Amino acid sequence: MTYVRVAVFSLLFVLLLGSLLIAFPQSAEALETESVTATRNEDGGTDIIGGKPTRLSWEGRVGNNEKVMQIVINFPEGCELADDAYLFLQEVIMDDPMHPRPDNAVKHEYELTQESLIINFTDGLRPGNKVIIQVYGFQFPAITADYYITGTYVDDKGLSHILKEYSRPVSVIGGTALENFLVWLSERDWVKAWNSNAFCNSFLNPVRAVASVPTLFGGWLISVALVALGFPLAIPVGLGISFLRMSKLWILRFLSSIYVNVIRGTPLFLQIYIAFLGLPLFISGMDNFTTGFIVLALNSSAYLAEIFRAGIQSIHKGQFEAASSLGMNGIKTMFFVIIPQTVRRVIPTMTSEFILLFKDTSLLAAVGVFEMMMFAKIQSNISANITPYVVAAGFYLLVTLPLTRVISVFEKKLAATDGKEAPPEDKKKKKPETKRVGLFKTTVPAAVNQDTGNG
Amino acid sequence: MTVSKDKVVVSIRDLHKYFGSLEVLKGIDLDVMRGEVVVILGPSGSGKSTLLRCVNLLEKPTKGEIWFEDNLITDPKSNVNKTREHIGMVFQSFNLFPHLTAKRNIMLAQRKVLKRSKEEAERIAIQQLEKVGLSDKIEYLPAQLSGGQQQRVAIARALAMDPHVMLFDEATSALDPELVRGVLDVMRELALGGMTMMVVTHEMGFAREVADRVVFMDEGVIVEQGTPAEVFDNPQSPRTQDFLGHIT
Ligand SMILES: Nc1ncnc2c1ncn2[C@@H]1O[C@H](COP(=O)(O)OP(=O)(O)OP(=O)(O)O)[C@@H](O)[C@H]1O
Ligand SMILES: [Mg+2]
Repeated sequence: MTYVRVAVFSLLFVLLLGSLLIAFPQSAEALETESVTATRNEDGGTDIIGGKPTRLSWEGRVGNNEKVMQIVINFPEGCELADDAYLFLQEVIMDDPMHPRPDNAVKHEYELTQESLIINFTDGLRPGNKVIIQVYGFQFPAITADYYITGTYVDDKGLSHILKEYSRPVSVIGGTALENFLVWLSERDWVKAWNSNAFCNSFLNPVRAVASVPTLFGGWLISVALVALGFPLAIPVGLGISFLRMSKLWILRFLSSIYVNVIRGTPLFLQIYIAFLGLPLFISGMDNFTTGFIVLALNSSAYLAEIFRAGIQSIHKGQFEAASSLGMNGIKTMFFVIIPQTVRRVIPTMTSEFILLFKDTSLLAAVGVFEMMMFAKIQSNISANITPYVVAAGFYLLVTLPLTRVISVFEKKLAATDGKEAPPEDKKKKKPETKRVGLFKTTVPAAVNQDTGNG
Repeated sequence: MTVSKDKVVVSIRDLHKYFGSLEVLKGIDLDVMRGEVVVILGPSGSGKSTLLRCVNLLEKPTKGEIWFEDNLITDPKSNVNKTREHIGMVFQSFNLFPHLTAKRNIMLAQRKVLKRSKEEAERIAIQQLEKVGLSDKIEYLPAQLSGGQQQRVAIARALAMDPHVMLFDEATSALDPELVRGVLDVMRELALGGMTMMVVTHEMGFAREVADRVVFMDEGVIVEQGTPAEVFDNPQSPRTQDFLGHIT
């Protein structure tokens, strides 16, 4: 018993000691590099891109029995400084390790060049303190590589020491052709002149526009993929619902009309939230993209159902009767006689439904689907510029404008052939009653007793 | 007209049809023999179309019996589509399928209902189009044909199904006068060939010439029937006299 107790206590003691050691790491004998990092460039990605300004941070800790009078940091070959490069220096006083006190007013002189940074401390950095050195406007070479920062320091006895090399390098991605182009572009006089206008700069900044194109194109492809999968899925579902809407059984009509009216009567935005919060509870392993296009498909199916229903009901009832009188059953009549005629009539409305759905993919940004709107938002945020949204608008139009054109061509064709197709007795006796359903004209079958006798 | 007339093809017994509370057919009794051409006359709204449409069940009879050959087709258990395979119908408004060429209009039901091979259906389609004088319009769409041509395609389409009886509901009423004749010629030809026909028409000349029997309907009942000579030249009922008086 006592043996066990002793074992437990000693274990606890070791743990306590260990955690104290972690909390108060023993100070080293000499100034040591604690970290070297660079922040990502301002315009995107998590990578540090060479040839573009970044912020280089160096942190170190003064040894216990020394004061540091001078620090020299050598930059790798090929580094550059922006015109507005500057130094930020901070000594963190560690007298009470639990409450480090930052001091931004360290007396010092410095010399910053492309090769090195030399800082002379008037009073020296005191033993055990931390020092943070940040160079703003620092540019790594535009060559993909791991860069190590080296240096030396001089202590209060006038002895020079080599700074121990920090084991983790800074990984830099070399400037891509695009990056280089952007740099080139940003230096053009006309670009500078253009951007000097606040409006042009905010909305139509050429550099920001070009910079956002690759990511937005990726997002555009995802948006297109969302409709390209969602819409074809919505078609058979919508057709099925439209059949139910015309069913002889009231219960099927009732249920399908609930489906259609609820979906059409509530915002897609809300449906997206419900689906993204709800579906994962029941179906595991559904990624955002899949959930996204399924919600779009279900939403669109309700609208398509009504488009199909209107289309089918716009077919003259004589067509159903002719097919029936030839012994065709309901399904054969639908598939070989009615639907082929309906397709032509509903293509314009279906196309505008497609356009709506494509634009609605943007709503999925709110629930974390990485489609174009999401990328536009990110791009805009990191560059504090509206241009990426304007570019995104262009990408949406790339799809919607040609389709709008398709619609008007089809509508013209329909208008041209519809007259020819109208049953002749309508032409001669009764004027066909036309009304607008959606985007297209339909000829509504004349009254029940269409055989106007002349007896 | 040497075909034997001993067999009844369509037999209608005490047929009533209501549309809501409106009684449109008020007890019709009518037998149509094999090879017989029955022309149904009557004023507008008298129920002629409804009667024809009841025969192939486009309208559901409210009461009474309709026999087609040996089948009681008003029996809910009888197969409607099977019955319709053997009853051809020609509509006033043609009702060709506008998305299909003349040939394909005629092939569709042959293929999908009678399950004929593509080759056979095509052969029959062309043959039927020749019969109605449209061998040069095989690949035309309905919109490219005149009304009279469309109606002849519609007749060919019905005939391709090898019907045992043909129903014509004012097949020429929608046509311009100069086109009526072509269609009537086809119908006359058909009658001479022994087809059993029920024809609703306002073409009195055709009725007089082609009909084996003329049935005069008014307000949902058969008022009078007989040979064309009997009905046209010596109508018994005042209503028939009145109707024929207005026509001629
Ligand atoms: N589907 C229907 N629903 C309600 N009433 C109908 C329907 N079809 C026909 N009717 C009515 O039934 C009556 C008879 O119609 P039907 O079409 O059979 O007359 P018809 O003799 O063919 O006349 P016409 O010479 O004008 O073609 C008419 O009063 C008509 O309004
Ligand atoms: Mg009629």
